[in-house]
Amino acid sequence: MKSFLILACALALPAVAVASDHGPVFSYATPVNSQGEFSFDTGLFGRNGSQGTQLSTGSGFGYGVTPQITVNFFVPATFGSGSLPESRIFPGGEWSAGASWRFLHSVKSVGQRIESTASLGVVVPGPQEDSGILGSLHRAPGVTGSLASGLASRSQYAWVGAGYSHFAEASHDRRPDTFSWSAVYGYRPARLRRGVDKWDYRGFAELTGEHTGKVRSGGVDVPGSSSTSLWLGPSVLAIFKDVAIAGGVQGPLFRDASDSIYGRERIRFAINFSYLKYSAHASSH
Amino acid sequence: MKKIFAIAILALFSLAAQAEYEQINLTVFGMDCAPCAHAIHVSMKGIQGVNTVDVDLNTGLVAVKLNPGNSATMHQFNQAVEKNGFTHKDAVIVARGKVTGTASAPFFEVAGTQDRFALVPAKAGVDVAALLGKTVTIQGVLPQAGKGKMSATLRYSSITEAP
Repeated sequence: MKSFLILACALALPAVAVASDHGPVFSYATPVNSQGEFSFDTGLFGRNGSQGTQLSTGSGFGYGVTPQITVNFFVPATFGSGSLPESRIFPGGEWSAGASWRFLHSVKSVGQRIESTASLGVVVPGPQEDSGILGSLHRAPGVTGSLASGLASRSQYAWVGAGYSHFAEASHDRRPDTFSWSAVYGYRPARLRRGVDKWDYRGFAELTGEHTGKVRSGGVDVPGSSSTSLWLGPSVLAIFKDVAIAGGVQGPLFRDASDSIYGRERIRFAINFSYLKYSAHASSH
Repeated sequence: MKKIFAIAILALFSLAAQAEYEQINLTVFGMDCAPCAHAIHVSMKGIQGVNTVDVDLNTGLVAVKLNPGNSATMHQFNQAVEKNGFTHKDAVIVARGKVTGTASAPFFEVAGTQDRFALVPAKAGVDVAALLGKTVTIQGVLPQAGKGKMSATLRYSSITEAP
């Protein structure tokens, strides 16, 4: 019963504001669901390196509890074996659940808003094993939190965000703590600032980075197992009424990771499909 | 023939007595993209009595036309904007209702709803004393109120006795 309650609380709680249906595909962003809005996301996320390709797919669900709070969860599945470093920006094999709270929402003109969103979530090991050094570890749940701030307007978007994830220890093993950050700039050309009955397009330049701590195995930190990387690339988001398609690709700008443990990660790519079910309900008073 | 005549008279009487919002124009702040506009459109269309909704993203104007005999309230329109995470500035309305209160403190009431606004003329020279107790068609502005609240005053620019 206790386990069930913990799981229920976890699922009622958090997941992180990455690959949102309204925003960029790789970076942290601020949009949350409308009150009563359901969102359904599914996508394909890939990381290719010298030791192989890791693909993940999965389903994410979000629900707007209030205009500023969205609860969500993500259930992934992974394929392939890349032996790659831990990443919280990119989905792995863990299930996650969380809540996002848009605690700052400044709307002072037509078509523009400034906002900040905090997210808190739990991450639990999924049924699939990881590959490489992470695959040899006993796994335990973790917590993750992020903060994103930025501007959304008819012409431009800009967000910065950062997140931190910490995992519990299991049988003297522990996944590395991960610090992730992102900065994204988006632009919608004048001729694409069209009406509600047309496809809405915008392009982004997404800069993301991650630092992972050392992997602990058998109570000992594995030498050379920490990593730092910085990634840059374009993405495009297209939305028509209640469906959205986003896709993007990133290449490494900087990479400091052990080749013998992780190989050389070369490219990251993602394509995400979203369905948004808006609420038509309006109370009488 | 008598029955038809009686029904026609009744229909005319009920038309004359009805009170409702006919049109509401809201300038909504914060909509940056087509899905924002679509969300507003869906929410507004979900309000019983709404006929058409037009959303212009570049001006932020949401124009709502309502069917005769509706009982929609301003609170529902405010809520439709706020639940999508936006705010609206002033609302320009065209509505039918009754002038109540006194000559020095007149009110406009939309029958069938709890909407009641203190009448304030937008310009000098419009006297509502002669319209007390009568059903009128009014056009005016409901100034922006705080989140979850509704303006207590209606700044009317035109007011005429309803036929």
